[in-house]
Amino acid sequence: MPQDLDVWLHVMYGFLHDVGIAVYIGGAISMEFVLGPAQASIPPAQAQVMGQKTADRFLWFVWGSLTLIIVTGILRLEKIGHMDWAYPFFNDTMKLSSDYGRTVWTMFLLWSVLVVNGLIITFVLRPRLQGRLGSGVGATHVAAAQGTKMRAATWVQRITRADLVIAVTIALLGASLKWGGAL
Amino acid sequence: MDTLLATAHALAWAVHLGGALTMHWVLRYAQREMPGSQVGIVCKRSGGRYRWFALVALGVVGVTGVLMLATTSDTEFAARPGSPSLSLADSYGRTMLALSVTWVMLVVAVAAMAFWLHPAQSKRSRPNMTHEQIQAERQRIGQAIQRMDRVLRFELIAGLGAVAIGASLHQGGLF
Repeated sequence: MPQDLDVWLHVMYGFLHDVGIAVYIGGAISMEFVLGPAQASIPPAQAQVMGQKTADRFLWFVWGSLTLIIVTGILRLEKIGHMDWAYPFFNDTMKLSSDYGRTVWTMFLLWSVLVVNGLIITFVLRPRLQGRLGSGVGATHVAAAQGTKMRAATWVQRITRADLVIAVTIALLGASLKWGGAL
Repeated sequence: MDTLLATAHALAWAVHLGGALTMHWVLRYAQREMPGSQVGIVCKRSGGRYRWFALVALGVVGVTGVLMLATTSDTEFAARPGSPSLSLADSYGRTMLALSVTWVMLVVAVAAMAFWLHPAQSKRSRPNMTHEQIQAERQRIGQAIQRMDRVLRFELIAGLGAVAIGASLHQGGLF
């Protein structure tokens, strides 16, 4: 067993970082390729309830893992000497002129895209999917509301798939850091 | 090539662990609001698919893990923190052994779910069954579900443990 607290912190940051990535990528793959087809095998009304419940819970996982990834990512960079808690915060290895720096900043940029996409899904598209109609609404209104929901669902699916590709790219870039970065 | 191997290895762990977490904390949560008959269908479809995803992911973990070890030279080992070596006299070697044992346990657990516990949950009913036979069949399915739950929990804990052990390898090992 390591005696040094520093080593334990390294291990813990690494573990939490890996768990964050696993939850995001593995969770997204399961939602898309395991729960999605299972949802399609039950009646539409039940499928809608299941979709709503799984998406509600999974969104918590998404925000938790995105937070865990960035926090532990920063802590790991600080631990291995690429960052400081004092100004100018970043060491020479983090400059855009180095492969390592370019790779880390690209990863951060892609992580930000995941955050923006998450915000769009959470605050724009999910409320549209959850919108309920009152009892006295006409057929035109119902059709329009259904159209809005269908469009929102299509966009959620498109964004989720794009997020999966982005997350896999981040994982690829992250793996390359051990050898000095890929860009 | 090293980067691709490491990415495939990390992604395979992610698919396995993320999938197990999703099945446990997302699907189970959604099932609470669903009627029993629909729970059965969803369980069958998602469980059947997930097992194959998990088995393939663990297979990729094994293959890429062995390839990563085989392509790491002695010079690379020496350059790592604590200059680890792949022997039981060194913490790195012992930790690698613990990781391999955990991986084998995970493969056994997932294979047991895929080929034994999941099929055992299917209802075998015949029109001429007596009341006792129906009761026995219900009891059998109940036991199969309980066993599946226990193995799922074990899979989740072992998966998290494997990731923790793997994370410690970068620092020279845990044991």
